[in-house]
Amino acid sequence: MRLSTTVRRAYSSAIYLNPSRAKDAAVCTTPTITHVQRQQLDSALRVDQAGEIAANYIYMGQMSVLGRNRALRPLIQEMWDQEKKHLEVMDKLQVQHRVRPTLLSDVAKVAGFGLGAVTALMGKEAAMACTEAVETVIGEHYDDQLKEMESLPSEHPSIPLLRDVIREFRDDELEHLDIAVDNDAQRAPAHALLSSIVGTGCKVAIELCKRI
Amino acid sequence: MSSSLRLLKLALPLVSEHGFTRTALANSVLHLPVPHAEPLSDSAVSALFGSGDRARKTLIHAWLDGGLESMSSTESVKDALHARLKYNEPVVSLLPEAFALLSAPESGVPPLDPLPMLKHSARIADEACHVSQDASLRLAWYTKRASLIGIYSAAELHQLTSPSTAPAFLDSLLATSNSIGSSLSEVLEFSSYVGRSWAGIIRSRGIF
Repeated sequence: MRLSTTVRRAYSSAIYLNPSRAKDAAVCTTPTITHVQRQQLDSALRVDQAGEIAANYIYMGQMSVLGRNRALRPLIQEMWDQEKKHLEVMDKLQVQHRVRPTLLSDVAKVAGFGLGAVTALMGKEAAMACTEAVETVIGEHYDDQLKEMESLPSEHPSIPLLRDVIREFRDDELEHLDIAVDNDAQRAPAHALLSSIVGTGCKVAIELCKRI
Repeated sequence: MSSSLRLLKLALPLVSEHGFTRTALANSVLHLPVPHAEPLSDSAVSALFGSGDRARKTLIHAWLDGGLESMSSTESVKDALHARLKYNEPVVSLLPEAFALLSAPESGVPPLDPLPMLKHSARIADEACHVSQDASLRLAWYTKRASLIGIYSAAELHQLTSPSTAPAFLDSLLATSNSIGSSLSEVLEFSSYVGRSWAGIIRSRGIF
């Protein structure tokens, strides 16, 4: 089992959570970009926000079942706290870049809680396998977004900051993936089948939230 | 800036005189820093802005974009919507035909296309939320904008028939919306108290 390391990397997202920096151009203005770029940015941030909503509720579901497990509770709580911070930053990004949020936010909440609770009821290994599968898809998704964001103009201060935030969140999600693997995710019953179902569900959800 | 965009900007002040017409677009060159001797020919207007009514639609869309810019100096939803209604005033008699042109689909099937007008109101509602620094999230983002779309659309329709009373009508709609909003949130809060009370009673009975 592993808790977070005490040495933390610098947080780019901290600027969004610092009220004294609320008027910085990097956090309160959006660049002038082409219509196509605007649509891509819009759908990217919409999916990211929806994903963080779902992640929050997955951990909420897991905590509702495994919250009494003295070993797992602090682990799940820590990952959940990080997702709460991610969601807070994503909400600020949505307002900053004037992004239309997904209509499926309530579906994401119900589906996330259901997934977290059901896999937790299957056992702690299954809960960790669920985390492993979700974080694998999300990590790859953030990686793909970073590649797409390379075409955005870096002159506007919000864009390099956005790339740094996505990079930071990708690294956080991959850390959750490692935590899940370290905590017997791969010993879950029918691990391959469970991972495949959860992973496919995440990919479908990503495509839906890009559009709706 | 491309030459067609520049000419579109120069054509906007001519709308009140010439209407949303190809003539306004043709005469835009007379207002260049180095003006042309004559207006653009019809073929030049078609080449730059599209043939037939497409050119008129381009001009209408540019005028609507200018309407959003007119809201940018305000700081509240009320001021933003008032600014937008004020932007309509010089051309209010021309707007029914302009909106009808936008709603007429190119192929004729379906007979009317409501999307352009919905998009027009939606952009205004979004801009009003932006200038007032509204930070609504999740479904509240949609309900806030839906409410403003309804309010602005009603006020604009009222303006087409009675321009002088439109600002007061807008104020009354905004006041009604605010009172409905606060009543709804009170009902929801009271309902949650009732729900929690029942949950407590059921739990204490040991049913679950």
